[in-house]
This record gives sequence, structure tokens and C-alpha cells, in this order.
Amino acid sequence: MSKRRNWDDDPERPRKRYRNERPTEEEDIEDNLEHLIVKLGDRSTSALEKNLEELVEILDHDVSKSAKSNIIKIICDCVANLPEKTSIYATLVGLLNNKNYHVGGDIIEMLVKCFKDCTKACEWDKSLSYVRFFGDLVNCHVISHGSLMNLFETLVDVTMEDNIPQVRSDFFVYAVLSALPWVGYELCDKKEQDLEQLLNTIDNYMTKRSKVHHTALRVWYSDTPHPQEEYLDCLWSQITKLRSDKWEENHIYRPYINFSKALCEALQHNLPAITIPPHDASYTYPYPKVVFRLFDYTDCPDGPILPGAHSIDRYLIEQNIRWILSTHHRDLKTCSFSLIGLQGGHKFPLEYVLVETILAEIFALPTSKYLEIFYGSLLLKLCKMQPGSLPQVLAQAVEMIFDRLDTMNVACVDRFASWFAYHLSNFQYAWNWDDWSACLTLDPLHPKPKFVRECLLRCMRLSYHQRIAEIVPDGFKILLPDLPEPMNKYAVTDESIKIPGSGLSNQLNELIKNKTPIEEIMKTLDDLDNSTNAGDAEFTPHSLKIDVFLTVLLNAASKSFSHLFSALLKYNQILLSLNNSEDAQRCILNAIYEVWRRHPQLLVVLTDKLLKAGIVDFPAVANWIFSKELANDFTRSYIWEILHSTIRRHIKQVENLQKKLQELKEAKEKSEKAQSTDKDEKDIKEEKEVEPSNEEAIESLEEKVETALSDQKNLFLIVFQHFIMILSEHIQTCEAKGRSFKNHWFRWCIGRLQQVFEHHQHVFKYNSVLESLLFTNDIDAHILIIFRQFCSLQA
Amino acid sequence: MAGYRDHKFSGSRDDYEKRLAGSTTLYVGNLSFHTKEEQIYELFSKCGDIKRVILGLNRITKTPCGFCFIEYYDREDAHNAIRYIGGTRLDERIIRTDWDAGFIEGRQ
Repeated sequence: MSKRRNWDDDPERPRKRYRNERPTEEEDIEDNLEHLIVKLGDRSTSALEKNLEELVEILDHDVSKSAKSNIIKIICDCVANLPEKTSIYATLVGLLNNKNYHVGGDIIEMLVKCFKDCTKACEWDKSLSYVRFFGDLVNCHVISHGSLMNLFETLVDVTMEDNIPQVRSDFFVYAVLSALPWVGYELCDKKEQDLEQLLNTIDNYMTKRSKVHHTALRVWYSDTPHPQEEYLDCLWSQITKLRSDKWEENHIYRPYINFSKALCEALQHNLPAITIPPHDASYTYPYPKVVFRLFDYTDCPDGPILPGAHSIDRYLIEQNIRWILSTHHRDLKTCSFSLIGLQGGHKFPLEYVLVETILAEIFALPTSKYLEIFYGSLLLKLCKMQPGSLPQVLAQAVEMIFDRLDTMNVACVDRFASWFAYHLSNFQYAWNWDDWSACLTLDPLHPKPKFVRECLLRCMRLSYHQRIAEIVPDGFKILLPDLPEPMNKYAVTDESIKIPGSGLSNQLNELIKNKTPIEEIMKTLDDLDNSTNAGDAEFTPHSLKIDVFLTVLLNAASKSFSHLFSALLKYNQILLSLNNSEDAQRCILNAIYEVWRRHPQLLVVLTDKLLKAGIVDFPAVANWIFSKELANDFTRSYIWEILHSTIRRHIKQVENLQKKLQELKEAKEKSEKAQSTDKDEKDIKEEKEVEPSNEEAIESLEEKVETALSDQKNLFLIVFQHFIMILSEHIQTCEAKGRSFKNHWFRWCIGRLQQVFEHHQHVFKYNSVLESLLFTNDIDAHILIIFRQFCSLQA
Repeated sequence: MAGYRDHKFSGSRDDYEKRLAGSTTLYVGNLSFHTKEEQIYELFSKCGDIKRVILGLNRITKTPCGFCFIEYYDREDAHNAIRYIGGTRLDERIIRTDWDAGFIEGRQ
């Protein structure tokens, strides 16, 4: 049964079955059943109740004993992977148990096994699904109240363990709290005292928690108009309110209610005692979160009322949306249909919750779960499906976020600009810019004018300069991006002005135009080392050479990206030879900047190309970002686009090496196995010859991986060191002048430092080094706290 | 995924299907004649690292004629481009994306 059921697969992919592999009849039934189980509760011509009854009938009568265990596994997988259908599967299991007590027992056994397995494997989302499912099985008379209480107590007892990270105890508390909307009512009814005690334990735990991470994860630093609550605090408030509402919620669809007569006759099972695997240093737990809040009921005056921030319904609806996103993110069509279909029996303003939850995902810190463009295209699709309501709600949201830009996390401002530009590009760039004209009089470093500037730049990158100039009102012209054209400081028309290098520039220009062979150009350049005595202090002869050559080359090939890339490829040899020192690399980067400073996108792409070609190396780019030449552009987002694409490129390089090493090792293991099994038959000599070379290759790769990892550590060290220096300097200068250092520049800079933690998985590897070398107690508390907040994400 | 096929492909149908199944290259159609490479880079980079973009050119005038090939390094990135970019707008035209068996010189 290992054939299919890969949850990550594209649902559109047709199932292949070749003619010569004709399935047996039994397999056929099994496949059919699997399909029925997975699709249960999806759009169907007949009612869910009827489908359930039929399915139970088939499973009970027509399936052989051996097939049954496969079917049970399928049900367990569905429970883990399709949490939005928890209650549907609970009903199915309830009905099966009612028909056949032993099958019920087998299912419980398998569920418990699956729960243990995924907890051990750190598959936390699945663990949550199982805990919730156990809860719902109590509603279906499959599991006894008492044994569920025991499980909950075991989970909450994790908070008493010594020397464990808070994220561990948080997870197990969360698991219980998030199951309570399903089973709270039943437990309160039958086990009120035990439940009270459990909630008291949790309450105690809640007051003891550290919340250093809170600030690092906030999209907005201000709590007006809506507090940005820590996720567990928020859920605790919601559960507390649910408890005072007598555990009544309005959102969960419970198909088992229609079968209550049949189900209440069923015999219950006791969950076995489950022990939670103890903490291990290799375990990673989910990070804490902060709840993104944009709307309250006053924002949607027409139509149904929006449940309040502490209403459990708000939590349940959002949760449901997230489940749909995670189940269907590979298929926009199904995803958007399921989201629109969420409007169930109890009315709520669906568009508002959809917009809020999707934006929450886009702005999620440290990174969003899926690609930005997934969310962008999903919103486009939803706008298309609900043209009468969704676009207006989205526009309202954009206005509100714009109003709240002052205290928005810097990385989120980037994402906002990038998403909004993409969205506008699909709607003819229609927007009422005049509504934002107040931002024109603000300090240019203020988040609002900066956002508009970045957004217009993004729009231009998706279209062209003229188009964007047309869409904005006249007053906004000052925020328009530059015309993305190259500059050539050596192209002086006035013969009387002599600048160093202009002679060489003319000469090179001719050579390149005439397609002179590379060797000759190299020779011309080499001759210069001996002849020029450029008395300019700014340039050494070598750096002048670099500057002139690149300026001429980039201008000559400026017609399109393709021309530029092929020019770089063609003159690769020359470029490589020019890089003979750290200084030379800096010259190369500066030359590119001088030519293309009005074309940020190209700077991003070109630095990446140079890195890939080995013409500059990673530390050179990092140092360049913080150099005085770029100081003017330091707060612009493209600079950080370059830094992060550089870091990502390095990470990818390391990963590729590690993958190769893994493959070699596996190949070696395989050949060893093969050798030991058929030694007699095979030509042993030949195999022995293969062996040592393989060994060598592995060794040399291992070395490479090690070097690459130490380079990676270095790269992060360089970046952080620069941040610490530049921020400390700023603080000192301001304090010396008696001014507050908390100005716009500081805000942008500290936000960019925070943003480096976007690469959290990799930065975490170097925590102890960072702590002992850089983020020591000597540095300013305002800088140190950023690092401390980051560390608390897994503390 | 069934729409576009390269009619000039030399080789058997099975061969073609096999190459499609492992391809990291997309065919993008219905582009505006004025769309430039840099716009294509901007939009399609949102799905991942692009290896190269090849603009389709008119055989005689050597001007863009409304399609291009995009090669990614990773198949998953290309797949995401099909999922999320196909059917959305670039230069205000709804563009279509499809798998391509891999660009061979001369197909512009």
C-alpha cells in the first residue's frame, strides 16, 4: 500500500495505472474506498449523512480482514492531514465503532500509535490533529471521558518537567486548549471537577511564561487600535470566555449530532495510558506566534457581526482558513472554492476574516509559511470570485495598514509594498493615490512616503516607467522611481574636460564594439599597469582599470538583460582576472553601482550573477552593503534584497554540497551491500577499484562542506558585526549631540537587523558563537535585546 | 497541463512526455509584444531562482512576438510558477504558462 496517497502531490495529477499491472478486484475495491474516505465531506451530489451510512455499510460487510487494517491506516492519515474534517471522520469512526466494537478498538490502537510516532518525529501539526480527534471521539461515544481527561492531564503535566524549553510546554498546553472547543462541553458535563483542575493548572502555567519573544514577532508595535496578542495568551482568553459561555460555540459543524440516537448506544473504549517522549536536544518545537488583528465589528457595519477578538468563533474560523490553505495551497482553484464555501450555517462576515487571515499569513514573522505570490494570487482569485464584496474589503484593509505604517515591522513594510504592487498590476494600477497625499509633506524617511516610493518602484518593475508616471497624480511625482537608465561618467562630450580614465574608456569602447578578441583586450589592460600613473587619490591604477572596463562594458551591453548577461559571460575571463584582492571586488561592485544605481532590480540580479560566477565573493557583498558608498541608499529595500539573496545563495550552495555528499554516501552503502551479498558472482577486482576513489570523493566533499559551513558562519558574523558597529555609532553620535537616537533611520536599521533572523534555522546554528563574540553585554541594550528576542523563539 | 505541445519536437511521443515530466522549463504565452525580459524576471523570480529567460522572437523582424521560455534551476519553482502565475496578468494581459520539454537553440 505504499503506492500513492502522497499528500504533497499535486491533486490534479492523474493517477497512473498501466494496463499490464491490472489490479486484483480486491485492490480495486480498496482503491475505491480510499477515494471515498479521502473525499468524504467534499462537495457531493448526495448528503453527507447518506455517504457516511453507505461507507460504514461497505466497510462493515464487504471488506476482508486484511484490507481492513489498510483502511484503518487511511482513516488515521486523513485525521492527521485533513484537520478541517475532524468531526466528519470522528462521526465515521463513531459509526464504525457502533457497528463493530472490535474495529473501533483497532482504530483507537492505530490512532494512538500514529500520535506517538508523529510526536517523536516532531510533526507537531499532526500531533495536534490527533489530540483534537481524541477529543471529538468522546463526542461520538468512542472514547470514555475519563481516559481523555487522563490524556489531557498527561499533556499538561509536561509543563512540570524540569530543564525544558518553554516552547515544549507551550506546545502541549496549546494541544489541550485547541481541542477544548470540540470537547469542552462534554467534559464540563461529565467531568466538571477534573476539567476545573486541569484549567487551574494551565492558568498557573500561563502566569509563569516568559514573553521576551513577543516584540520580535509583532507586525505592529502599537496596541492601538488592536492589541497584537501573544498566541497562547489569546487562546487562553478565548477558552476562558468559552468556559463562561458554558462551552457553547457556533462554528464547528458536527455531523454526529444527526446520529446521536445510534451513537449513544455504542460502547466506549478507554484510551491507553500514553507517555510523552521526553525532551531531546535534537527536537525542534513550533515557534511562538503573535495574533494578527486588523478588524473589529465596527469595520464591517453591514451584514452579520464579526466575532470579537476573544470569541472562540474567531479562533475557529481562522483556524479553519489556515487548514484549508495548508491542505490546498498547491491548487488555487480548490483552495479558493473551499474558502468561499466556509460560510456555513452560522453567519459571519466571511470576507473580513478571509482578508485578515490571509494578510496575517503574508506578514507572519519571522517568515510566512508559503510563497508571497501564493497569497497574492489567492487574493486575486478570491476577488474574481466575489467581485461584489471582496475587493472593497481588501481596499479597506490596505487603507488601514497604510494608516498604521508608523509602527509596522520593517520586513512587513517590504512585504506590504511588494504584495500591493503585484495586486495593483492585476487591476490596471487603479488606486486612489490622492487619499494618501498627506504623506507628501512628511519626512522622506517616514514610513508612509517610503512605503509609497517602494510600492511605485515595485509597480515599475512589473511594468515600465512611463506607465507608472501616468497612474499617479502630479503631487506624487517626487516619489516616482528614477528612469532606469545606465550612467557613464567617462562619456564626456566636452573635449576640454579631462577626467582620468576617459582616454582608456574611449579605447576600450572601440575594442568592444569591434569585437576584438578577449586576449587582445586583456593585453591592452595589462599594458596599463605599467604605463598609467594616475595621480588620482581615489583610484589606484588597478581600480581605475576595473572601473573603466566595467563602465564601458555595462554601457555597451545595456540594451537588455540578455545582452548584459551574455556580455558578462563573454568577458568572464577578464572579470575573473580583475578580481585579485578584496579591494578589487569592492571596486567591481562600486563600478556596477555607479552605472546602474538608477536600476535597483538590475543591481540585485547582477550581484547575484557575479556571485555565481565567482567574480566577487560573499563577504565582499556583505561589506559593500555597509560601505559608505551605499550609505545614501542604506534604507532602501533593494539593498536588503541584495543582502538576503546573497545569504540565500550561500545557504543553497551549502545545501547542494550536503546533498551531494549524502548521495555519495548512500551510493557507497549500496555498493557495499551489493558487494557483501554477491561477492562470489561478481568480479571482485573491479569493485575494489571503484571503492577507494569513492572514499576519496567523500572525503574531499566532507572537507568542502566543512569549509562552506565555516564560510556561512563567517558571513553571518560579518553581517552582524556591521550592524552592531553602525548602530552603536549612531547611538553614540546622537547622544553626544544630545539628540534622541530613536529616529527614522534607527528604526529602519534595527528593523533590518531583525530581518536577518528571517534565516532563523541557519542563524540558530551559530547562536553560541554570536553570543560569545558579538552580542555580548558590552553592547548597547537596544541592540542586544533584538538578539535576545530572537533567541527566545526556541527557548 | 494538456494544452501546449511543441510540434517540432523530434522524437517519440513517450520521449517527449518523459522530458516534460522532468522539465524545469516553462513556456509562457500571450505576452504583450512590449513586455521586456526584466518584467518577466521580476514576476517569475517570485517563484524562485531563474536560470535563464528566452524571449520568443519573430523570425523575420527579430522582435518579440508574445511568448518566452523560462528555465528554473528547480522543478518545484517552475511548478509553482504554473500554479500561481499562470492566469494572472503581466503588462495587463492574462498570460498562460505550461511545461516545456526544454529549450533548444532556434526555437525562438
